[in-house]
Amino acid sequence: MKKSHFAAFVVLAGLISLAQPVWSQMNGKQIMEAVYTRPSGSDLQGDLTMTLTNKQGDERVRQLRQFITDNGSIEKTLMFFLSPADVRNTSFMSWSYADGKDDDQWIYLPALKRTKRISSDSKGDYFMGSDFTYDDLGDRHPDEDNHTLLREEKLGNYDCFVVESTSKQPGYMYSKTITWVNKDNFIGLKREFYDEAKMPLKTLYIHKFEKINSFWTILETEMVNTQKNHRTKMVFSNVKINQGIPDNKFTERSMTLGQ
Amino acid sequence: MKENKMKTMAWLIISVSFLITIFFGYQIVQKSRMETDLDKYMPQDHPAFVYSDQAEAWFNIKDGILIAVENEQGIYNSGTLQKIKDITLQLQAMPEFEAADVVSLFTADNIVGTEDGLDVRSFYREVPSSAEVLKKLQSDVETNEMVHGRLVSEKGNVALVVAALNDTAFSMEFYQNILAFAHSFEGPEKVYVAGVPVVEGTMAFLGPKDMKTMVPIVVLAIVLVLYTVMRSVRNTFSTLMVVLLSTVWTFGLLALLNIPIYAVSIMIPVMLIAIGVADGIHLYSHLDLFLMENKGATKVQAITNMLKNMWKPVMMTSVTTAIGFISLLTSEVLPIKYFGLFTAFGVMAAMVFSLFLIPSFIFVLGTKKQKTLKTRDQSHTGFGADFAVKVLKYKVLVVSITVILGVISVVGIGKVWINSSFLENFEKSSDIVQTDAFINQYFGGTSTINVILESENEGVMTKHETLQLLSEMQLSVEKVEKVGGSFSIADYIKRMNKVMHADDEHYNSIPDDDELIAQYLLLYEMSGDPENLWKVTDYDSKKANLTFQLKSDNSKELKKTIEAIEIFKPRLEELGISLNYAGSGYKALVFTGLILEGQIKSLVMSVIIIILLITLMFRKFTIGLIGSVPVVLTALLSFGLMGLLNIPLSTTTALISSIAVGIGIDYAIHFMERYKIYSQETGDKLLTTKLTMSHSGRAITFNAVVVILGFLVLLFSVFPPNRSLGALVSFNMLTSFVATVTIMYLLLYKSNIFFKKKS
Repeated sequence: MKKSHFAAFVVLAGLISLAQPVWSQMNGKQIMEAVYTRPSGSDLQGDLTMTLTNKQGDERVRQLRQFITDNGSIEKTLMFFLSPADVRNTSFMSWSYADGKDDDQWIYLPALKRTKRISSDSKGDYFMGSDFTYDDLGDRHPDEDNHTLLREEKLGNYDCFVVESTSKQPGYMYSKTITWVNKDNFIGLKREFYDEAKMPLKTLYIHKFEKINSFWTILETEMVNTQKNHRTKMVFSNVKINQGIPDNKFTERSMTLGQ
Repeated sequence: MKENKMKTMAWLIISVSFLITIFFGYQIVQKSRMETDLDKYMPQDHPAFVYSDQAEAWFNIKDGILIAVENEQGIYNSGTLQKIKDITLQLQAMPEFEAADVVSLFTADNIVGTEDGLDVRSFYREVPSSAEVLKKLQSDVETNEMVHGRLVSEKGNVALVVAALNDTAFSMEFYQNILAFAHSFEGPEKVYVAGVPVVEGTMAFLGPKDMKTMVPIVVLAIVLVLYTVMRSVRNTFSTLMVVLLSTVWTFGLLALLNIPIYAVSIMIPVMLIAIGVADGIHLYSHLDLFLMENKGATKVQAITNMLKNMWKPVMMTSVTTAIGFISLLTSEVLPIKYFGLFTAFGVMAAMVFSLFLIPSFIFVLGTKKQKTLKTRDQSHTGFGADFAVKVLKYKVLVVSITVILGVISVVGIGKVWINSSFLENFEKSSDIVQTDAFINQYFGGTSTINVILESENEGVMTKHETLQLLSEMQLSVEKVEKVGGSFSIADYIKRMNKVMHADDEHYNSIPDDDELIAQYLLLYEMSGDPENLWKVTDYDSKKANLTFQLKSDNSKELKKTIEAIEIFKPRLEELGISLNYAGSGYKALVFTGLILEGQIKSLVMSVIIIILLITLMFRKFTIGLIGSVPVVLTALLSFGLMGLLNIPLSTTTALISSIAVGIGIDYAIHFMERYKIYSQETGDKLLTTKLTMSHSGRAITFNAVVVILGFLVLLFSVFPPNRSLGALVSFNMLTSFVATVTIMYLLLYKSNIFFKKKS
């Protein structure tokens, strides 16, 4: 190595270590808490296009309009189906509680002209037949897992923490997950899920994220179930944050009104 | 040729034969392999199989191993429920199964109506122990027709764990492991293991295994009988060598060409034994007669005379037999093509051995001691001659019996059917049959037919017209005697419609509203495990899979069910829906149909070829026709009798009609050739018949007795298909033999063929 290059290397290393302090003190738990508590605004609305692909390569596309509000103790989500046509205006609402109480969920079937509560045990963990469970979509509190910082490495162009999380409660559907967390904005960019037999099960990818209204927002994500050879892609569009969605939007009555 | 030179020649032939045999034997040891995957037997490019394989992939259709847990006190107690849970979880963890393919009460969806909606729950996760919760579980099961009678018996005493298995994953070792695994859960519960993979796998294993024990016993029996008729160790030894060497060469060639041994390949030694001994018997029979008539003839003279007189019939019989087997190349089933081709090769090898090795053996080992040979005059007395006269005397009787049997057979032949059932290959008292019967007693059935519906247009399968028709079809087909249950997308919709209307039985039906149906399905997907839906329909509702459960895998029952399904074809077509079938049971049915069809095709073809060949050999068309009589009669009687007695053919026994051709023609040719020679020698018709009957008739009798007795040994086999094999071969030999020395001889006599010029 030439001397001039060596000098440059020393300077660079110094710069990096200067930038390091905030991060270097963080342990796995703190990183995952930072991910969980990353500011995301108090409300959000936008369109979601969900594409499911099975192992034969068949695709199903569903379009929904969603409204989310979060006051810190309850996160309320309301979704209306835009397509396919035969389920248009079917709506789905869920209230999820920060204190760990079971979610409340309702569905409105326009053909039946009735709102029904749905509740489900672990079988219903999957979100609308996709490869995402509700936990995968961000419902899972970091306190439920033990976290270990494995290493720091680059994922594509991003510097990442690599954190392994294992459930405190035995018998959870994942034996462990490994998450690549973007150091800059605490967005989890990739996550590997391992099944109860410790075999690789699924991988979550974040394909696109942007700052909207000063909040980092994920706009394109994909979950690939490698065991079933099944994948789900979610693309968000027309996303608006902190528009002030009134709380009375999230009622059984507004479910029947259509978007 | 000088005697010394001949001696060198004889040793050379023997050495070369054995060296090549050692080479082939080495190939067998090194390269031989069995093919036990039944799918490999089926023509992969046949449209029915291509379609079925495709549909199996669409809907994840696999045959399941069934584990039944019986508790006479009922399964609703924590002990039994724990076992169901443990069996399920441990099966899911086995590498042979995919977790989603293991279904039981523990994994099943319980779609229930609640006060304010719909819930898709598990029946239980943690095993309940309180009487109250157990009672609730019992009532949950009993009110859910998607589970009641499917995973838990209606009486509540048996629960089923179904584990779908990839075709290739089954091995005997795996089966033993599963058995041991299942039985480790016994007490007080009883645990049973059944299912198509178990039956198929055991059969693919048991048949060849039983043959391995039985073939040596058959060979031993043949040795004993051969010795009894030949009265000579040397003759018996060399005749046997012809059979053994030709078998080794055939299997050696298979191994050399890297062709696996299929289940039907075990028929090759069967054929070669039955056919191969014939040449030896005829050669030695001629030799003995020559020596009896020419006391003091030298070895060289005897051998020369034998070859001079016999090379032609030996060659003719072998070539015709080989061509009969080659006609099996018309079959669409690959293992049968190989069977035909390689049996033909074996027959030709046996011919070469008979013409070269047997004379060499005689040369080296010598002939029978002169003193053991009885002196004979121009044998026109004796049993053979008497018999010839008797047949002439009772010709009306012979003809009438033949005609009557022929007519009866023609009636019976229309009733011939081939059974694709795997289960019926086992003893009624065997574990496998008993277990199957037990599960069939409590559940829909261990066999399935998958009906695949397809439409060009999206969403057709979830339209109410379609679903209502499906539902109607299920009810109608379930009335067929052996059909015990059915399952389709319609069952999901009916269940959801019911629970969304407060469990009102009136709503256990398909609603008239397509949007409601779509929304129910969405609701189900949001609440339950959508994986289950993709076993009955597909992503864009263009396809559906309708499963019928049968309590039997018998071909007749499968056909009855298919007939009941076909009634709905026109109405489905009105909705733009096509109907096809899939699954292993259906494939087996198509497969056996192909075998029977191919067998009959090749039989007709080989008879035509044989008539032409004999015509060519004897330069007379009438001879061709007469010579084919034993063949045709044997085939007729064999098929006719089975049809009349309602004994179904199986994949292997269907091939036995080939033996009718192979052997029937040998008897006929030997007899006619001798008849021709004597007719030219004597010019006297009656004397000719007497001489022929004493010469050829004698050899044919020996031949028939040897093979019949040899194969009757198979009646002691523990494997029923091998028993029917023994009975059929023996029966065919008997028919060929009797037909040759009675009706064919009579026709030959009456036709005046070789005497016309002189009279």
